[in-house]
Amino acid sequence: MAGAFGIASSETAPLIAYLDRQITRGALAERGAALAALITAEGVSRLMVLSDDPLHILRAIDGAARAGADLFIAHTNLPEAEIESIKQQFAIQLIVGEADALTAISTEGQPPAGRIFMMTSGTTGAPKIAAHSLGALLSRAQAGASKASPGAKWLLTYQPTGFAGLQVQLTAAITGGVIVTPNERTPSGFLEAARTGGVTQISATPTFWRSFLMTMRPGDLALRQITLGGEAADQSTLDRVRKAFPDARVTHIYASTEAGVVFSVHDGLEGFPAAWLESAHQGAELRVRDGFLHIRTPNAMRNYVSDTPQPIQDDGWLATADRVEIRGERAYIVGRDDSTINVGGSKVYPLAIEQFLLQQPGVLEARVFGQPNPISGFLVAAEVVIEPSLDPAATRSAILAACREALASYQAPRVFKVVDAIAVRASGKKG
Amino acid sequence: MTEAETLTHITAIVTRILDDKGLPAPAITPDTELLGGELKIDSLDLAMLVRELEDVIGHDPFAEGFIEFRTAGELAKLYAK
Repeated sequence: MAGAFGIASSETAPLIAYLDRQITRGALAERGAALAALITAEGVSRLMVLSDDPLHILRAIDGAARAGADLFIAHTNLPEAEIESIKQQFAIQLIVGEADALTAISTEGQPPAGRIFMMTSGTTGAPKIAAHSLGALLSRAQAGASKASPGAKWLLTYQPTGFAGLQVQLTAAITGGVIVTPNERTPSGFLEAARTGGVTQISATPTFWRSFLMTMRPGDLALRQITLGGEAADQSTLDRVRKAFPDARVTHIYASTEAGVVFSVHDGLEGFPAAWLESAHQGAELRVRDGFLHIRTPNAMRNYVSDTPQPIQDDGWLATADRVEIRGERAYIVGRDDSTINVGGSKVYPLAIEQFLLQQPGVLEARVFGQPNPISGFLVAAEVVIEPSLDPAATRSAILAACREALASYQAPRVFKVVDAIAVRASGKKG
Repeated sequence: MTEAETLTHITAIVTRILDDKGLPAPAITPDTELLGGELKIDSLDLAMLVRELEDVIGHDPFAEGFIEFRTAGELAKLYAK
């Protein structure tokens, strides 16, 4: 059996490259088949992969697909209590990672249907969970891979358990490419991996590109394809990338958790042609309603499994929170209106961070908001009111240490002020 | 503010960022590459550094758009202007 990615077709070709070793397609197929055998032998309906290593993520996908089991892809930075609650709620019987482990949870509920459950980021509060079919995820990857040639080497810049990261891994897997994995997820760690691995394609956020260009030197890399996504690509970053890599094709994409990659822009200009709002383009229909972008696409997910506001409209269109402005023949994404903060391509929910701050000893009131930043688009900023009897400096240090401990690095407030009072506007909202 | 004074601020802020992470801070010279790997800071730390420099020094050299820099000295120059 060829497995989920047809990986048996070229057994000796590498699929994953680390700094010091490689995993071949044949080796991954073997590991996937072995996992499928375990799933079948133990009667596992639902398993969860809990790792940032593409080896474990891909063999979990492959094994689950071969055995017809449901797979949950969890973020490794979720608090243990949250993972435990997902395990119980969905009756997860097997955890895949460095060491695979059966849980003591018995099979209950619905029979498995070979679905893949992915999570939005949510270190605080429960993550939103959406069900996908492997087929839809693979066709998303296929659609994004039209220009990818076999032997293309992809640098895995995104969180491997998120949608963009999975998209890169699946694209490489089904198009004969190689996933190049850094040892250390820092600009210099990425550069070292890219140089050592001879990377030819990098898909990353504009924030990643701004940092990466500061680290690399001309001639370090021979890139063929550069993709910017996760945040609106601004003209100055597009221009700098183009200047650094004059031979590469530069693409910026609009993608969402719910709909995958909706459209790609190749002309090097920010925004997209307004004509795309008139007729279907690249298989997706776009419209603007009340200033917001709406999307209709065949590969969209259905709705969230978890209890959460659902983004799909009654007429089948997906309403995004992205504001669109049309100037001449170009449409621009000019910001979001759902109060989420986009920190270097990662979505932060200010309310969840406020709730976390309010749980800290001595905190009476907290306000969390996005502050514009030239490097990362936005930073999370927080203002807190503390009990008057406490020492502001010591309390501040304790709160920041708690944030570093419990929150992902992009979620922790980077601008932090202890204030006397937080104004409440007439609307009742903290302003 | 002179470049040397700005560099002192950069050193102080980077040292505190690293200290918060429980990491030692190596000496920072004008030639130190901020994201070059010698300092264990990431792009969000750099974003925070730029933000704090604006607070301390009182102006934002990026107000009109992003400006290229690589080393601590190059960043100091932007604020010293």
